[in-house]
Amino acid sequence: MAQLDDRPDLSRPARPGPARPDFTRPDLASSAYAIPASTQLLAIAWLRWRIFVNGFRRQAGSGKVAGLVVSIVLRVMLWPIVALWVVGPAVGSGFLAWMAVDGHHPQRLSVLFGGIALIWQLIAINGTGIAATVSSFDPSTLLRFPLRFGRYLVLRLLLGLMTASTIVGCLALFAAAIGITVAQPSLAAAAFVVLAIFAAMNIFLSRMIAVWMERWLSTRRAREIFTALMALVFVSFQLLNFHRPLKFRHPTGHPSARANSWLNFLSGTHPFLNWLPPGFATNSIFPLEHPLARLAQFAALLAWTGLFLAAFAFRLHKQFLGEYLSEGAPRSAPKAPRSHPPASTPAPAAVFNQQLTTSNQQLLSPTIAACLRKEWVYLRGNTNQLIQMFTPLVFVFIFARGILARHPAYLLSGAVGYALLGLLGTLYNVFGADAAGVQLYLLAPVRLRDVIVAKNIASLALLLVETALAWTIVMLLATAPITLSSQFSAAFWIVFVVFANLTLGTMRSIQAPRKILPGQARQLRSTSTSRTSALIVLATLFGCILLQVPVALLSGYFHNPWLAVWIFAPLAAAAVAVYALMLANADRLILTHRDLFAADLCGD
Amino acid sequence: MTPAIETTSLTRRFGDFTAVENVNLTVEAGQFFGFLGPNGAGKSTTIKMLTGLLAPTSGTIRILGTDLTENSADLKRQIGVVPEGMALFGRLTASEYLRFVGRMYGLDQATTEQRTEELLEFMNLAGEDKKLVTDFSHGMQKKLALAAAVIHGPKVLFLDEPFEGVDAIAAGTLKQMLQRMIARGATIFLTSHVLEIVERLCTHIGIIHRGRLVAQGSIEQLRAGVASSGAAPLTLEQIFLEIVGADRDGSLAATPPEQELSWLS
Repeated sequence: MAQLDDRPDLSRPARPGPARPDFTRPDLASSAYAIPASTQLLAIAWLRWRIFVNGFRRQAGSGKVAGLVVSIVLRVMLWPIVALWVVGPAVGSGFLAWMAVDGHHPQRLSVLFGGIALIWQLIAINGTGIAATVSSFDPSTLLRFPLRFGRYLVLRLLLGLMTASTIVGCLALFAAAIGITVAQPSLAAAAFVVLAIFAAMNIFLSRMIAVWMERWLSTRRAREIFTALMALVFVSFQLLNFHRPLKFRHPTGHPSARANSWLNFLSGTHPFLNWLPPGFATNSIFPLEHPLARLAQFAALLAWTGLFLAAFAFRLHKQFLGEYLSEGAPRSAPKAPRSHPPASTPAPAAVFNQQLTTSNQQLLSPTIAACLRKEWVYLRGNTNQLIQMFTPLVFVFIFARGILARHPAYLLSGAVGYALLGLLGTLYNVFGADAAGVQLYLLAPVRLRDVIVAKNIASLALLLVETALAWTIVMLLATAPITLSSQFSAAFWIVFVVFANLTLGTMRSIQAPRKILPGQARQLRSTSTSRTSALIVLATLFGCILLQVPVALLSGYFHNPWLAVWIFAPLAAAAVAVYALMLANADRLILTHRDLFAADLCGD
Repeated sequence: MTPAIETTSLTRRFGDFTAVENVNLTVEAGQFFGFLGPNGAGKSTTIKMLTGLLAPTSGTIRILGTDLTENSADLKRQIGVVPEGMALFGRLTASEYLRFVGRMYGLDQATTEQRTEELLEFMNLAGEDKKLVTDFSHGMQKKLALAAAVIHGPKVLFLDEPFEGVDAIAAGTLKQMLQRMIARGATIFLTSHVLEIVERLCTHIGIIHRGRLVAQGSIEQLRAGVASSGAAPLTLEQIFLEIVGADRDGSLAATPPEQELSWLS
């Protein structure tokens, strides 16, 4: 503000304009000329585009060029996989729709449409959690602008059109319409119109689920219950898979015969689907005996579509009017201070000396003890983490009786390794949940090494509990006795894996931390460094796990079951030594990276 | 004359907690109104309700004589807001952000461009074209939020702690701008904990305490309502402490001497 006089005078119109407005009355007459929809829609489209472009600019501009390159390479590598995810269901749907019509099994179409709708909604529900945290744009921020509800509704519908569920679902339905057309060209018009409505129905349904979920999951407790339920659903699917009828588990015969048996099995759901949109969509495509019956089916499909749109609009309107979604009060009024009897308190120097004396007598230093207590409080309040910790054990239970039961050499290591996967990933961002609180570690008169030790002890305690439980499950369920050599080998391998990841994870936690928002299961949109971190996590974890294979082959080749122990024992010792070395340099490491460390965790 | 802001029995509850209770507020057009209160008194909740970001549990809000609930879209074109969290888009540059806001308020392309340039120059942000908003200092973000709040020429301006984190030179410029807006007939509703600023800028004051509006009027009226022990007129800070510092039973809310932190050196 050095050149104050050069600045424009905003109190006067800069250019000749209309007469001074009357500030005492609302200009509702002039505001009756509504802002053109195109103006606001284009502004928002432009906003999204600039946010996207600036995201790249920010990475490059902040000196994270290497991260940006890795990020782009990673995306290019992921494109074929993403394409498979998109093209696969589309080709499959098109083929199945053609098969159903060509084979005169129209009822199978409703099963196909039901399947598409189910997958669409499951992907959308899973994506709701991601969108809540990784999206760089919260549509509710638009509420402060002069938008009418109708336009806000349209905006909210348009803003989510580029989600994975919508793209995959729409393409699958489009392909299904092509499949129907190829099989019976006379159905082309009906197929395309009906499936367009069916796609709209799915879009409205997914939006309706999302906004109602937002309402229901507005409290932490509700989110935890939801996470537990989702974990239960996925575990149940695995259990169903494990206990599914034998004819489906070990199918024999020609693949087409197996497919037919599956289709016949699924066709059993047809009567039920007849009352739902998939059934109405199917019946709207095919000519029925009475033309009015077909019209009624189409009307029923439209009614379902309208119902979902109305339910979505109803909830959105509440938000539009300023509904507050949170744990409760945004804050509570300050309470009157409690009266404490005055007590004689020692001087600060005396307290300091007392602490020093006490620390010598304690097993852990006061810093480590305080940090451990804080970690315990965090863990205690994080039901999600506890659920995520115990869910893999259910899979260990399944694997121990399933696929791994046939490979006893890998059973213990495989099961425990799988159980630890999720927890090992958390080692790579141990400061994330502290966010801006890490400044205290930098400001307080403590050794940063002690803070890291405390965090590592907390992590090791969780890993130990998880290992012990997985180990016990395997030992109890193993169909053949697990040899002592296998147990020793697994133990040393686990020590190696844990300490290798602990070392790398701690270093990455310091060099590339990511802030985690409380109450949200997923992390913020990754920066380039965190993408690099993610790549390192994956490479290290799978590298450690894959190490088992050549070692097991070597043991088998030399007919020496103890060979694996002799390989993993020195590796474990080396991993512990490297960890100790890293710990000795932890203070220097943090101080070297304190700028980035503080900026990434304390910034917006 | 129609009041610029008028609330009747405005109440907002969050579960069992009543954040704002039966607030009857009147701000005449052209007033520079200071809305004061201790932390957690209900200031931000009231502003959110007045700007349509939060629905009241009960009561009515009229802005420029028009019901806010029934005409929120039209009225939002007449008001400007610097909300509590500033509500900026961090991944835009300052000029991109102002252009976006201008278009959202229905300004045409040319007017948006012209006002963007003028505001950036006025706020001394014109040289920061390459920087994203997220990389701005807190004070720069405040200035940008204020620029966005006035780009469409609002008739009523709501400012939640507008000077927090803004340097003295910029604060002076902003004050000048706000006073000129008042001179042209706009109404400004401001919250701040810096009572000296409020005393210097505002002609009228409202004080909210524990969700209730406990005082409202011009500074002279408030001064007259509070007994003065000395000859010198009371400052706003003294008035505020007199009104808010005493609990309903008359006891002072300040920490009693026996509870002072005696161990502090």
